[in-house]
Amino acid sequence: MLEGVPQMRSLVLGILGVAIVFAGDGFAQTSSPDGWLNPDWNKPAITAANRKPAPRRSLAGMWAPAEGPGAGTQAQGVQLKPNNGRPENELPYTPYGLQLYRSHHALEGKDAVLPAQDNDPRNRCEPLGVPRSNHYNIRLTQFFQDEYKMAILYHYDNRWRIIWTDGRRLPKLVDGGVEIGGELREPRFFGYSVGRWVDDYTFESQTIGVMPDDRVWLDSTGRPISEKARITETFRRVDYDTLVWSETIDDPKVYTRPWEAMRMTFRLHDPRTDVQEYYCSPSEQENYNKLFGADAGSKGAP
Amino acid sequence: MRARRVIVSIATVGLLVQAPLIAHHGAAAYDVGKKVVLKGTVKEWIYSNPHCLLTLEVKGEDGQVVRWIVEGQAPNVVFPAGYRKDTFTFGDEVTVTVEPVKNGRPLGRILAAVTADGQTLGAASSGFTTQTLP
Repeated sequence: MLEGVPQMRSLVLGILGVAIVFAGDGFAQTSSPDGWLNPDWNKPAITAANRKPAPRRSLAGMWAPAEGPGAGTQAQGVQLKPNNGRPENELPYTPYGLQLYRSHHALEGKDAVLPAQDNDPRNRCEPLGVPRSNHYNIRLTQFFQDEYKMAILYHYDNRWRIIWTDGRRLPKLVDGGVEIGGELREPRFFGYSVGRWVDDYTFESQTIGVMPDDRVWLDSTGRPISEKARITETFRRVDYDTLVWSETIDDPKVYTRPWEAMRMTFRLHDPRTDVQEYYCSPSEQENYNKLFGADAGSKGAP
Repeated sequence: MRARRVIVSIATVGLLVQAPLIAHHGAAAYDVGKKVVLKGTVKEWIYSNPHCLLTLEVKGEDGQVVRWIVEGQAPNVVFPAGYRKDTFTFGDEVTVTVEPVKNGRPLGRILAAVTADGQTLGAASSGFTTQTLP
Protein backbone atom coordinates (compact mmCIF):
# COMPACT_ATOMS: atom_id res chain seq x y z
CA MET A 1 0.00 0.00 0.00
CA LEU A 2 1.39 3.30 -1.04
CA GLU A 3 1.84 5.99 1.58
CA GLY A 4 2.66 9.45 0.36
CA VAL A 5 1.77 13.11 0.63
CA PRO A 6 -1.99 13.51 0.11
CA GLN A 7 -2.60 16.33 -2.34
CA MET A 8 -5.09 17.40 -4.97
CA ARG A 9 -3.29 15.65 -7.72
CA SER A 10 -0.80 12.90 -7.64
CA LEU A 11 1.54 11.27 -10.02
CA VAL A 12 2.82 7.79 -9.55
CA LEU A 13 6.50 7.40 -10.23
CA GLY A 14 8.66 4.33 -10.17
CA ILE A 15 11.74 5.32 -8.24
CA LEU A 16 13.81 2.70 -6.49
CA GLY A 17 11.05 0.32 -7.37
CA VAL A 18 8.76 2.21 -5.08
CA ALA A 19 5.55 3.88 -6.13
CA ILE A 20 5.40 7.39 -4.85
CA VAL A 21 2.69 9.94 -4.58
CA PHE A 22 4.00 13.18 -5.97
CA ALA A 23 2.63 16.34 -4.46
CA GLY A 24 2.16 19.10 -6.96
CA ASP A 25 0.05 21.63 -5.15
CA GLY A 26 0.03 23.33 -1.81
CA PHE A 27 3.52 24.80 -2.04
CA ALA A 28 4.25 28.46 -2.54
CA GLN A 29 5.82 28.95 -5.91
CA THR A 30 9.50 29.72 -5.72
CA SER A 31 11.81 30.71 -8.50
CA SER A 32 11.32 28.06 -11.14
CA PRO A 33 13.00 28.92 -14.41
CA ASP A 34 11.63 26.57 -17.12
CA GLY A 35 10.05 24.47 -14.39
CA TRP A 36 13.31 23.76 -12.57
CA LEU A 37 12.34 24.76 -9.06
CA ASN A 38 14.99 26.30 -6.85
CA PRO A 39 14.92 25.41 -3.15
CA ASP A 40 12.75 27.76 -1.10
CA TRP A 41 14.64 28.70 2.06
CA ASN A 42 12.30 31.50 3.05
CA LYS A 43 9.12 29.67 3.90
CA PRO A 44 6.65 31.33 6.26
CA ALA A 45 6.63 29.96 9.79
CA ILE A 46 4.08 27.31 10.65
CA THR A 47 1.43 28.84 12.91
CA ALA A 48 -2.02 27.92 14.10
CA ALA A 49 -3.38 29.69 11.05
CA ASN A 50 -1.54 27.63 8.43
CA ARG A 51 -0.85 24.38 10.29
CA LYS A 52 -2.20 21.29 8.54
CA PRO A 53 -2.57 17.88 10.16
CA ALA A 54 0.11 15.29 9.61
CA PRO A 55 -0.81 12.41 7.31
CA ARG A 56 -1.05 9.07 9.03
CA ARG A 57 2.08 6.89 8.91
CA SER A 58 3.88 8.86 6.25
CA LEU A 59 7.29 10.48 6.10
CA ALA A 60 7.24 10.70 2.30
CA GLY A 61 8.49 13.96 0.93
CA MET A 62 11.47 16.23 0.55
CA TRP A 63 12.70 17.59 3.86
CA ALA A 64 15.35 20.10 4.86
CA PRO A 65 16.44 21.72 8.13
CA ALA A 66 13.75 24.16 9.19
CA GLU A 67 16.26 26.77 10.29
CA GLY A 68 17.82 27.05 6.86
CA PRO A 69 20.43 25.32 4.74
CA GLY A 70 23.25 26.01 7.17
CA ALA A 71 21.47 24.43 10.12
CA GLY A 72 22.33 20.92 8.99
CA THR A 73 26.01 21.58 8.40
CA GLN A 74 27.07 20.57 11.91
CA ALA A 75 30.64 21.56 11.16
CA GLN A 76 31.37 21.92 14.86
CA GLY A 77 30.12 18.43 15.60
CA VAL A 78 26.82 16.71 16.13
CA GLN A 79 23.92 19.09 16.59
CA LEU A 80 23.24 18.57 20.30
CA LYS A 81 26.89 18.27 21.36
CA PRO A 82 29.05 20.74 19.45
CA ASN A 83 32.73 20.04 20.06
CA ASN A 84 33.49 23.44 21.56
CA GLY A 85 35.16 22.53 24.84
CA ARG A 86 32.21 23.31 27.05
CA PRO A 87 31.85 20.72 29.84
CA GLU A 88 28.22 20.01 29.02
CA ASN A 89 29.23 18.97 25.50
CA GLU A 90 32.02 16.59 26.47
CA LEU A 91 31.17 13.06 25.39
CA PRO A 92 31.35 10.08 27.77
CA TYR A 93 34.36 8.43 26.18
CA THR A 94 35.67 5.06 27.21
CA PRO A 95 39.48 4.97 27.47
CA TYR A 96 39.56 3.41 24.02
CA GLY A 97 37.14 6.00 22.67
CA LEU A 98 39.29 8.85 23.95
CA GLN A 99 42.39 7.26 22.45
CA LEU A 100 40.53 6.95 19.16
CA TYR A 101 39.41 10.58 19.28
CA ARG A 102 42.97 11.73 19.88
CA SER A 103 44.17 9.78 16.85
CA HIS A 104 41.75 11.66 14.63
CA HIS A 105 43.06 14.95 13.25
CA ALA A 106 39.97 16.90 12.28
CA LEU A 107 39.57 20.21 10.50
CA GLU A 108 36.76 21.28 12.79
CA GLY A 109 36.10 21.53 16.50
CA LYS A 110 38.20 22.54 19.49
CA ASP A 111 41.13 20.36 18.47
CA ALA A 112 41.11 21.34 14.79
CA VAL A 113 44.30 21.07 12.76
CA LEU A 114 45.35 22.87 9.60
CA PRO A 115 44.14 21.39 6.29
CA ALA A 116 47.52 19.90 5.45
CA GLN A 117 47.51 17.86 8.67
CA ASP A 118 44.09 16.23 8.76
CA ASN A 119 43.22 12.56 8.40
CA ASP A 120 39.45 12.80 7.93
CA PRO A 121 38.29 9.88 5.73
CA ARG A 122 35.81 12.28 4.13
CA ASN A 123 38.69 14.08 2.47
CA ARG A 124 39.58 10.86 0.68
CA CYS A 125 35.96 10.68 -0.49
CA GLU A 126 35.24 7.68 1.71
CA PRO A 127 31.49 7.09 2.25
CA LEU A 128 30.26 8.80 5.41
CA GLY A 129 27.84 6.02 6.33
CA VAL A 130 25.44 6.07 9.24
CA PRO A 131 25.35 7.99 11.50
CA ARG A 132 27.75 10.56 10.00
CA SER A 133 25.43 11.18 7.05
CA ASN A 134 23.03 12.65 9.60
CA HIS A 135 25.74 15.02 10.78
CA TYR A 136 27.42 16.20 7.60
CA ASN A 137 25.69 18.91 5.61
CA ILE A 138 22.28 17.36 5.86
CA ARG A 139 20.18 19.45 3.48
CA LEU A 140 17.49 18.43 1.00
CA THR A 141 16.66 14.91 2.14
CA GLN A 142 14.07 12.76 0.41
CA PHE A 143 12.01 10.02 2.01
CA PHE A 144 10.22 7.38 -0.06
CA GLN A 145 8.25 4.55 1.46
CA ASP A 146 6.18 1.51 0.64
CA GLU A 147 4.83 -1.32 2.77
CA TYR A 148 8.26 -2.95 2.98
CA LYS A 149 10.70 -0.16 3.57
CA MET A 150 11.59 3.44 4.11
CA ALA A 151 14.22 4.87 1.76
CA ILE A 152 16.20 7.95 2.72
CA LEU A 153 18.05 9.80 -0.02
CA TYR A 154 20.72 12.08 1.37
CA HIS A 155 21.77 15.13 -0.55
CA TYR A 156 25.50 14.87 0.07
CA ASP A 157 27.21 12.50 -2.34
CA ASN A 158 23.86 11.15 -3.60
CA ARG A 159 23.82 8.47 -0.91
CA TRP A 160 20.76 6.45 0.08
CA ARG A 161 19.83 3.94 2.72
CA ILE A 162 16.99 1.52 3.41
CA ILE A 163 15.17 1.00 6.69
CA TRP A 164 13.15 -2.22 6.45
CA THR A 165 9.59 -2.06 7.76
CA ASP A 166 8.34 -5.49 6.72
CA GLY A 167 8.69 -7.04 10.14
CA ARG A 168 12.09 -8.60 9.76
CA ARG A 169 14.21 -8.59 12.88
CA LEU A 170 17.41 -6.71 13.38
CA PRO A 171 20.35 -9.10 12.82
CA LYS A 172 22.52 -10.15 15.72
CA LEU A 173 25.62 -8.01 16.16
CA VAL A 174 28.72 -10.24 16.27
CA ASP A 175 32.46 -9.76 15.94
CA GLY A 176 33.25 -8.90 12.35
CA GLY A 177 29.75 -7.93 11.31
CA VAL A 178 26.26 -9.29 11.88
CA GLU A 179 24.75 -12.76 11.91
CA ILE A 180 21.84 -13.50 9.58
CA GLY A 181 20.47 -17.05 9.32
CA GLY A 182 23.55 -18.43 11.02
CA GLU A 183 25.91 -16.74 8.55
CA LEU A 184 28.35 -13.94 9.14
CA ARG A 185 27.49 -10.88 7.05
CA GLU A 186 29.85 -8.03 6.39
CA PRO A 187 29.70 -4.64 8.10
CA ARG A 188 28.27 -1.89 5.93
CA PHE A 189 28.73 1.86 5.77
CA PHE A 190 24.98 2.32 6.20
CA GLY A 191 24.57 -0.70 8.44
CA TYR A 192 21.50 -2.89 8.74
CA SER A 193 18.33 -1.03 9.66
CA VAL A 194 14.79 -1.99 10.65
CA GLY A 195 12.00 0.33 11.65
CA ARG A 196 8.43 0.42 12.89
CA TRP A 197 5.63 2.87 13.54
CA VAL A 198 5.41 3.50 17.27
CA ASP A 199 2.17 5.37 16.66
CA ASP A 200 0.57 6.93 13.59
CA TYR A 201 2.99 9.84 13.57
CA THR A 202 6.18 8.43 15.08
CA PHE A 203 8.56 6.12 13.24
CA GLU A 204 11.52 4.53 15.01
CA SER A 205 14.49 2.78 13.45
CA GLN A 206 17.44 0.80 14.78
CA THR A 207 20.72 0.42 12.93
CA ILE A 208 23.65 -1.91 13.68
CA GLY A 209 26.45 -3.52 11.71
CA VAL A 210 28.16 -0.29 10.66
CA MET A 211 31.78 -0.08 9.55
CA PRO A 212 34.65 -0.45 12.05
CA ASP A 213 36.12 2.58 13.77
CA ASP A 214 39.14 2.80 11.48
CA ARG A 215 36.87 3.47 8.48
CA VAL A 216 34.35 6.03 9.67
CA TRP A 217 33.98 9.03 11.98
CA LEU A 218 30.92 10.22 13.82
CA ASP A 219 31.29 13.88 12.91
CA SER A 220 33.53 16.48 11.33
CA THR A 221 35.39 17.12 14.59
CA GLY A 222 36.81 13.62 14.66
CA ARG A 223 34.54 12.11 17.29
CA PRO A 224 34.60 8.33 16.87
CA ILE A 225 31.97 5.68 16.20
CA SER A 226 32.62 1.95 16.16
CA GLU A 227 31.25 -1.25 14.71
CA LYS A 228 29.62 -1.96 18.09
CA ALA A 229 27.28 1.00 17.73
CA ARG A 230 23.53 0.79 17.82
CA ILE A 231 21.88 3.90 16.40
CA THR A 232 18.29 4.61 17.34
CA GLU A 233 16.49 7.21 15.24
CA THR A 234 13.04 8.64 15.83
CA PHE A 235 11.11 10.51 13.15
CA ARG A 236 8.11 12.37 14.53
CA ARG A 237 5.71 13.95 12.07
CA VAL A 238 4.55 16.92 14.11
CA ASP A 239 2.25 18.29 11.43
CA TYR A 240 2.00 18.21 7.66
CA ASP A 241 5.03 20.47 7.17
CA THR A 242 7.18 19.54 10.15
CA LEU A 243 9.31 16.53 11.03
CA VAL A 244 11.54 16.11 14.07
CA TRP A 245 14.45 13.72 13.48
CA SER A 246 16.22 12.48 16.62
CA GLU A 247 19.23 10.20 17.02
CA THR A 248 20.67 8.37 20.01
CA ILE A 249 24.02 6.58 19.94
CA ASP A 250 24.73 3.51 22.03
CA ASP A 251 28.31 2.41 21.39
CA PRO A 252 29.86 0.67 24.43
CA LYS A 253 33.23 0.33 22.73
CA VAL A 254 33.62 4.08 22.46
CA TYR A 255 31.13 5.64 24.89
CA THR A 256 30.29 4.65 28.45
CA ARG A 257 26.56 5.30 28.04
CA PRO A 258 23.99 6.08 25.34
CA TRP A 259 23.62 9.76 24.47
CA GLU A 260 21.47 11.88 22.20
CA ALA A 261 23.30 13.42 19.24
CA MET A 262 20.54 15.09 17.25
CA ARG A 263 17.01 16.41 17.59
CA MET A 264 16.56 18.50 14.46
CA THR A 265 13.40 20.01 13.04
CA PHE A 266 12.88 19.61 9.30
CA ARG A 267 10.52 21.44 6.99
CA LEU A 268 8.69 19.94 4.04
CA HIS A 269 9.79 21.26 0.66
CA ASP A 270 8.12 21.15 -2.71
CA PRO A 271 8.80 17.65 -4.08
CA ARG A 272 9.53 19.12 -7.48
CA THR A 273 12.54 21.02 -6.15
CA ASP A 274 15.64 20.52 -8.24
CA VAL A 275 18.45 19.13 -6.10
CA GLN A 276 21.88 20.32 -7.19
CA GLU A 277 24.61 17.73 -6.96
CA TYR A 278 26.84 17.91 -3.91
CA TYR A 279 29.55 15.30 -4.06
CA CYS A 280 33.10 14.30 -3.29
CA SER A 281 35.17 13.81 -6.42
CA PRO A 282 38.78 12.64 -5.93
CA SER A 283 39.98 14.60 -8.95
CA GLU A 284 38.23 17.80 -7.91
CA GLN A 285 39.45 17.32 -4.37
CA GLU A 286 43.01 16.92 -5.64
CA ASN A 287 42.71 20.05 -7.78
CA TYR A 288 41.33 22.02 -4.85
CA ASN A 289 44.18 20.91 -2.61
CA LYS A 290 46.74 21.79 -5.28
CA LEU A 291 45.34 25.27 -5.92
CA PHE A 292 44.23 26.23 -2.44
CA GLY A 293 43.99 23.74 0.40
CA ALA A 294 47.66 22.84 0.76
CA ASP A 295 48.85 26.46 0.79
CA ALA A 296 46.00 27.67 2.99
CA GLY A 297 46.84 25.05 5.55
CA SER A 298 50.59 25.46 5.54
CA LYS A 299 52.52 27.24 8.25
CA GLY A 300 55.11 29.95 7.93
CA ALA A 301 55.61 33.02 5.83
CA PRO A 302 54.38 33.24 2.24
CA MET B 1 45.83 42.59 -20.50
CA ARG B 2 43.61 45.58 -20.00
CA ALA B 3 44.38 48.34 -17.56
CA ARG B 4 42.98 48.06 -14.11
CA ARG B 5 42.87 50.11 -10.99
CA VAL B 6 43.23 48.09 -7.88
CA ILE B 7 42.92 49.07 -4.29
CA VAL B 8 43.67 46.72 -1.48
CA SER B 9 42.55 47.59 1.99
CA ILE B 10 42.63 45.57 5.14
CA ALA B 11 40.41 46.10 8.10
CA THR B 12 39.69 44.10 11.17
CA VAL B 13 35.99 43.71 11.68
CA GLY B 14 33.65 41.58 13.67
CA LEU B 15 32.87 38.11 12.50
CA LEU B 16 30.95 38.08 9.26
CA VAL B 17 30.91 34.34 8.87
CA GLN B 18 29.63 32.09 11.58
CA ALA B 19 32.22 29.36 11.89
CA PRO B 20 29.71 26.54 12.37
CA LEU B 21 28.36 27.21 8.90
CA ILE B 22 31.65 26.58 7.17
CA ALA B 23 31.43 23.07 5.98
CA HIS B 24 34.38 21.61 4.18
CA HIS B 25 37.25 22.67 6.36
CA GLY B 26 37.59 24.56 9.55
CA ALA B 27 38.37 28.12 10.40
CA ALA B 28 41.80 27.14 11.73
CA ALA B 29 43.52 28.35 8.57
CA TYR B 30 41.73 31.72 8.53
CA ASP B 31 42.50 34.99 10.22
CA VAL B 32 38.98 35.10 11.51
CA GLY B 33 37.57 38.60 11.75
CA LYS B 34 40.02 40.20 9.34
CA LYS B 35 38.59 41.59 6.13
CA VAL B 36 40.45 42.33 2.91
CA VAL B 37 38.84 44.17 0.00
CA LEU B 38 40.32 43.14 -3.35
CA LYS B 39 39.72 44.96 -6.61
CA GLY B 40 41.13 42.97 -9.44
CA THR B 41 40.81 41.13 -12.72
CA VAL B 42 39.33 37.67 -12.94
CA LYS B 43 41.67 35.03 -14.29
CA GLU B 44 39.60 31.94 -13.49
CA TRP B 45 36.36 30.92 -11.77
CA ILE B 46 36.09 27.23 -10.93
CA TYR B 47 32.53 26.26 -10.03
CA SER B 48 33.02 22.80 -8.56
CA ASN B 49 33.23 20.69 -5.43
CA PRO B 50 34.42 20.73 -2.77
CA HIS B 51 34.77 24.53 -3.06
CA CYS B 52 34.42 27.14 -5.77
CA LEU B 53 37.67 28.97 -6.46
CA LEU B 54 38.12 32.47 -7.88
CA THR B 55 41.54 33.54 -9.13
CA LEU B 56 42.15 37.28 -9.30
CA GLU B 57 45.09 39.45 -10.27
CA VAL B 58 45.30 42.38 -7.90
CA LYS B 59 47.67 45.33 -8.27
CA GLY B 60 48.80 46.86 -5.00
CA GLU B 61 49.67 50.48 -4.36
CA ASP B 62 53.32 49.61 -5.01
CA GLY B 63 52.42 48.46 -8.51
CA GLN B 64 53.09 44.83 -7.77
CA VAL B 65 50.53 42.41 -9.15
CA VAL B 66 49.51 39.67 -6.73
CA ARG B 67 47.59 36.60 -7.76
CA TRP B 68 44.90 35.85 -5.18
CA ILE B 69 42.86 32.67 -4.96
CA VAL B 70 39.69 32.95 -2.89
CA GLU B 71 37.16 30.29 -2.16
CA GLY B 72 33.45 29.86 -1.73
CA GLN B 73 31.53 26.83 -0.63
CA ALA B 74 30.34 24.13 -3.06
CA PRO B 75 28.01 25.14 -5.92
CA ASN B 76 24.82 23.96 -4.24
CA VAL B 77 25.69 25.95 -1.13
CA VAL B 78 26.53 29.22 -2.88
CA PHE B 79 23.72 28.97 -5.43
CA PRO B 80 21.02 30.49 -3.17
CA ALA B 81 23.30 33.49 -2.56
CA GLY B 82 23.35 34.10 -6.31
CA TYR B 83 26.67 32.59 -7.36
CA ARG B 84 26.47 30.86 -10.73
CA LYS B 85 28.84 29.13 -13.10
CA ASP B 86 29.15 32.35 -15.14
CA THR B 87 29.10 34.87 -12.27
CA PHE B 88 32.76 35.63 -12.98
CA THR B 89 34.39 35.38 -16.39
CA PHE B 90 37.95 35.90 -17.58
CA GLY B 91 38.88 39.57 -17.67
CA ASP B 92 36.04 40.85 -15.46
CA GLU B 93 36.89 43.73 -13.16
CA VAL B 94 35.40 42.82 -9.78
CA THR B 95 35.55 43.70 -6.11
CA VAL B 96 35.70 40.85 -3.66
CA THR B 97 35.75 41.08 0.13
CA VAL B 98 37.54 38.15 1.69
CA GLU B 99 38.70 36.78 5.01
CA PRO B 100 42.40 35.96 4.46
CA VAL B 101 44.32 32.97 5.70
CA LYS B 102 46.60 33.35 8.71
CA ASN B 103 49.86 32.42 7.05
CA GLY B 104 50.00 35.53 4.89
CA ARG B 105 49.59 33.85 1.54
CA PRO B 106 47.17 35.56 -0.89
CA LEU B 107 44.32 33.21 -0.14
CA GLY B 108 40.97 33.74 1.52
CA ARG B 109 37.29 32.99 1.58
CA ILE B 110 34.62 35.13 -0.03
CA LEU B 111 32.53 37.29 2.28
CA ALA B 112 30.99 39.45 -0.46
CA ALA B 113 31.48 40.29 -4.12
CA VAL B 114 30.54 42.95 -6.60
CA THR B 115 30.49 41.50 -10.09
CA ALA B 116 31.51 43.20 -13.33
CA ASP B 117 27.90 44.20 -14.02
CA GLY B 118 27.47 45.71 -10.56
CA GLN B 119 25.56 42.89 -8.89
CA THR B 120 26.29 42.60 -5.16
CA LEU B 121 26.48 39.11 -3.70
CA GLY B 122 26.86 38.05 -0.10
CA ALA B 123 29.02 35.45 1.55
CA ALA B 124 29.73 32.40 -0.57
CA SER B 125 28.70 30.09 2.24
CA SER B 126 25.62 28.69 3.94
CA GLY B 127 25.35 31.80 6.04
CA PHE B 128 23.71 33.96 3.40
CA THR B 129 20.40 33.98 5.19
CA THR B 130 21.73 35.60 8.31
CA GLN B 131 24.63 37.69 7.18
CA THR B 132 24.83 41.37 6.54
CA LEU B 133 26.86 42.66 3.68
CA PRO B 134 29.89 44.69 4.69
